[in-house]
Amino acid sequence: MEGFNLRFASRMQDLRASDIREILKVTQSPDVISFAGGLPASELLPAREMAELARELLLNDGVRALQYAPTEGLEVLREVIARRLSDRFGMQRRPDDVLVVTGSQQALDLTGKVFLDEGDVVLCEGPTYLGAINAFRAYQPRFVEIATDDDGMVLSELERRLESVDRVKLIYVVPDFQNPSGRRWSVERRRRLADLAARFGVPVIEDAPYGDLCFDGEPFPPVALFDRAGLVISLGTFSKILSPGMRLGWVTGESSLVRKYVLAKQGADLHTSSLTQLLAARFVLEYDLDAHIARIRDVYHRRCRAMLAALDEHLPQGVRFTRPVGGLFLWVELPEGTDARALLEQCLEENVAFVPGGAFFANGGHENTLRLNFSAMPEERISEGIRRFGRVLAAALEPVEAGSVSRS
Amino acid sequence: MDITIDRSSGEPIYRQLVHRIQEMIVSGALPEGFRLPPERRLASSLGVNRSTVLTAYRELKARGLVDAHVGRGTAVLRPPPKSSGAAAVPWRQLFRESVMRSHDPILSELLAATERTGVISFSIGLPAPELIPLQTMEELSLDIMRDAGPAAFLHCPTEGLTLLRETLAEWVASRGIRAKTSNMLVVSGSQQGLDLIARVFLDPGDAVVVEEPTYVGALQTFRVAQARLVSVPVDAEGLRTDILASVLEHHRPKLIYTLPTFQNPSGVVMSLERRRSLLELAARWHVPIVEDDPYSELRYENDALPSLKALDDRDQVLYLSTFSKILFPGLRVGYVVVPPAVLRQLVLAKQGADLHTNSFGQYLLERFVREEHLSAHLERLRVAYRRRRDTMAAALARPRAVNLRFAVPDGGFYIWCGIPAGIEQSTLMAHATSRGVSFLPGNACFGADSPENAVRLNFTHCSEEEITVGVERFVEALTETASLRPLHRTDGVATSPVV
Repeated sequence: MEGFNLRFASRMQDLRASDIREILKVTQSPDVISFAGGLPASELLPAREMAELARELLLNDGVRALQYAPTEGLEVLREVIARRLSDRFGMQRRPDDVLVVTGSQQALDLTGKVFLDEGDVVLCEGPTYLGAINAFRAYQPRFVEIATDDDGMVLSELERRLESVDRVKLIYVVPDFQNPSGRRWSVERRRRLADLAARFGVPVIEDAPYGDLCFDGEPFPPVALFDRAGLVISLGTFSKILSPGMRLGWVTGESSLVRKYVLAKQGADLHTSSLTQLLAARFVLEYDLDAHIARIRDVYHRRCRAMLAALDEHLPQGVRFTRPVGGLFLWVELPEGTDARALLEQCLEENVAFVPGGAFFANGGHENTLRLNFSAMPEERISEGIRRFGRVLAAALEPVEAGSVSRS
Repeated sequence: MDITIDRSSGEPIYRQLVHRIQEMIVSGALPEGFRLPPERRLASSLGVNRSTVLTAYRELKARGLVDAHVGRGTAVLRPPPKSSGAAAVPWRQLFRESVMRSHDPILSELLAATERTGVISFSIGLPAPELIPLQTMEELSLDIMRDAGPAAFLHCPTEGLTLLRETLAEWVASRGIRAKTSNMLVVSGSQQGLDLIARVFLDPGDAVVVEEPTYVGALQTFRVAQARLVSVPVDAEGLRTDILASVLEHHRPKLIYTLPTFQNPSGVVMSLERRRSLLELAARWHVPIVEDDPYSELRYENDALPSLKALDDRDQVLYLSTFSKILFPGLRVGYVVVPPAVLRQLVLAKQGADLHTNSFGQYLLERFVREEHLSAHLERLRVAYRRRRDTMAAALARPRAVNLRFAVPDGGFYIWCGIPAGIEQSTLMAHATSRGVSFLPGNACFGADSPENAVRLNFTHCSEEEITVGVERFVEALTETASLRPLHRTDGVATSPVV
């Protein structure tokens, strides 16, 4: 619009293309050992089965697959989701309490649409999921980070904030193998979070994309199971267990709440693709999803072990990292003052990529942290990549005074 | 009452007081009816200001934990249940105002009714199911499996599949629109395109010009964006640009939203002269035009007019289109043609909204368009829809006891039909539903109060036989409503998209 003075909404000033995204464009190259992605392993995708199902659907159920669906989602998929939540996580949800969304990214966006006016406060973990920060930021809230340890949010601090901070609209948490930290909340913290939310009447957004990817037995009960006040809104997705490209997720909670999300979704995209909804439902009904998940989980578990072993072997003293028992990521804390961005540039020269951690903090800082993905690379590549990473890191940390990665 | 204050904690003292006393009440340490010490005494025993204690007591009262009466002091009320599961959550205060306002119960009721079997639906803008090229789609899905493999189920760029963007740039060139790949953004249905434009351009309170009547879904999107809707009427030549001129001057809108070709719901085509003056006016006031163009391929007679985007030599038009009406709506793949500077902003917004549009649908559509299945398909649609339009027009034109006014549109999906003044649309809807026919009440298509009494009837979804039967049912319902017998409305469950 040359000659046209474009007047964008003020919220657009807060949305910027991330420089990391630019850096990571180079990681597409097959030479790069990338620990940067958040993707499930593509070789584990049931692509053949899905394409086969797509063909059958178009032949036998094509009209339904290609017509409009209700905004809430197709009944068959909502039933599949409700049943799965009950069988796997003990959550008693009726199909009517489930809204199908265009990936759980949309669920985050709708959450902003339903709850957040400019200046409202979102309480979140530090670090927290980047996609949530981005989605909420469009609604111009204020983020207040709550300190987080290996058992989840430090609830005494959460409580203090709930008491002292005005305009708190939401508590956003990722209790299972959080992206980026890989941490899992203890059961006790989950229970107490539900109690605190009820006491203060603040809704909890429980984002649970990784609950199924649990390496050490049964998943922990979701926060929603402890929710007696109807305040927990649960988000889930097929991205990590079936296909990220389908853009299929869900929101469940009290019916009256889900209705609000439905209204917001109507204006956002009317409804989620009918074809992909039917595909996912058919897959769950005709194939053994749990067996498929078990297969993914075993592979990720092996890769996670390989990464941990390599980190134990190659990382210099003074570098801490989490030891996840599920999910896709682990989290590294370098000595204070080290700059993970500068380290990334050095690692890229060795064809190794990761995501610097600062982006995962809603209010910035923490540039000495970084996220490693262990799901996308085979074990040999993981070992090799961590070896290089360790070498670069050791060199960077050695002469701290002269090191090019330390901040002045 | 044993209260300790921690002056080093940073938490305001009155909040500490509230917290401690609340704990004692909830735990039962302070029983119901217990009188809290007078403010002055508590203040001096703790060494704090009296006003601090006063504030704390007020807060406790606001939380329903104590009651205060002049002369009798402050007494503890019955404590709330421990798990506070029963405590009502103040949802209304938590929700955004715009979300509270955007609800239109009539619509969900109506649309739920159309889900019932046996109802002839004129209400939703659906293509004819039997004309969907399933066979072709099935074959294409085989090719995709062979050529693309897992990529069809993996992530794709936020902007859309590059191949599809290229194909779409060529496709719009056939409509006279000069676009490069860098102008094309794939969206999850053109509804999303509209939503993204709203977020990129609109701050709460900004004015948006909409036509009167206009597309229901656009009204919903703009309302959620907390925009101020300024309506400009549509006549037989489209948007009244004479009125627009003064609206632009007085309201300084951020956007002008228009459907110039086979407008939803009126079916009107904006004249070439009006198109030119709209572009002129918008340029003078520096207001981008959002051109929504889902129907232009569905022309049943007369020559096509160039789209606003095709006439746009100043890059002032944001163009939206979709395959929902000409192919099938369930894939949710639409597209936007915009200048690169706008595209960058839309991409940022889309990243937060849904990352990207579903990959498989994009592959399917790309093949369909690139392999040139589309023109033959469109030709079949035009023949069938033209007949359906004529069938509906003939049925509506039969001599009736009630007076119906309508124009036969040259294309598109709808007949906009005026009904006698004084007929209550929600009552008519209830009568129609019970007789097995549905329509879109016209007042849903207005930003403010509706100045005319009309309904929108879709003629593409039903067969000609159904159309004839449906119109008869509709006229019966109309006659019945005119005699004004009230009837109970049905409750809605599923929210069908209004399109």
